[in-house]
Amino acid sequence: MDCDRCGEAAVMHAAYSGAHLCEKHFRHSLEKRVRRRIREDGIVPETATPEDPVTWLIGLSGGKDSVVLTQILAETFAEDPRIELLALSIHEGIEGYRDESLDAAESLTDDLGVRHETIAYAEEFGVRMDEVVEDDPEDMAACAYCGVFRRDLLSTYAEEFTADLLLTGHNLDDEAETALMNFLEGDVAQMAKHFDASLGPLDERTLTDRHVPRAKPLRDVPEKEVALYARLRDLPAHITECPHASESFRGEIQSLLYKLEEAHPGTRHSIMAGYEQLARQAARNVDRDRGYASCDTCGRPTTGDRCRRCQLLDALGA
Amino acid sequence: MHVMVEVVGEDTRELDVESGATYADLLAACDVSPHEASVLVDGQPVPEDGEVSAERVEVLRVVKGG
Repeated sequence: MDCDRCGEAAVMHAAYSGAHLCEKHFRHSLEKRVRRRIREDGIVPETATPEDPVTWLIGLSGGKDSVVLTQILAETFAEDPRIELLALSIHEGIEGYRDESLDAAESLTDDLGVRHETIAYAEEFGVRMDEVVEDDPEDMAACAYCGVFRRDLLSTYAEEFTADLLLTGHNLDDEAETALMNFLEGDVAQMAKHFDASLGPLDERTLTDRHVPRAKPLRDVPEKEVALYARLRDLPAHITECPHASESFRGEIQSLLYKLEEAHPGTRHSIMAGYEQLARQAARNVDRDRGYASCDTCGRPTTGDRCRRCQLLDALGA
Repeated sequence: MHVMVEVVGEDTRELDVESGATYADLLAACDVSPHEASVLVDGQPVPEDGEVSAERVEVLRVVKGG
């Protein structure tokens, strides 16, 4: 199989587009998609100048997605004095697993000359995920606790570092799974939140004054292509699955999407294209009657009386 | 044709495939979706719709999450 563009040996076939690409043209194609997403989401503000740059905080776990994101952002904006990059890693207290991926994060940011900070659940909350899964007071999957804590710390530190934007490595598979889960759960409010938090172009989002806005520049790239890119460029990505990974509903949706994608190539792209329009409409409607209050305990924005983080920390006796 | 398929980190299988079979057919025989794995021949990724010509391939599963 040869590359459609140059005749070199192809390293991949994208069934959704029909393309066969060699290593060089695959890399170009992926980078182009990421840069186009950055443009379409309008995340580089026109007001940013070399004298008054913006700070972008990258959530860097050391896994393939965040490593590829960091690499491409660093290369794209290395010469751009309007953007300052800062990578943040979070140690959840998962023995062995996270230590290795933090080494990968350290090695990558050293190579790229990107400032890197690491924080830990143990120091921030007095809990470690290895113990949380043992205790499990809410009878939930590990990811349900971990996700709340991680999002909380990313937001808190985005504010702490006065970041203008928080960037994460979510890929097309991640986003299509989330979209389908929200749809199957009938959770229109969650779709609206998704749009305002990370999906919509920056200038269409509302209520963002409450949180540092987010962006997911890899969200047009299938997960497999992110992994292939990391491998071809020999990036220091950590490739072990979290020992506590156990989101059963997401797992079911993932299998379903693999089957759909095989039978109907392009399904993930079309799910996202339609979902984004629905989420936009939902966000416009919900804005009229949605209000944020402050958490009774920590004062952070929440839609109820107490934020989820404080509820979980209470249940854990932390 | 006789092919050794190593699913990295899991097991190695010996498969007999008909001539004209693709790497996607090897993945299907291992119950692995082409969207969650890459096929490597001599360490180089190959397109899944390519015809199997190697006697030994590796299947590298994508790792979820960060």
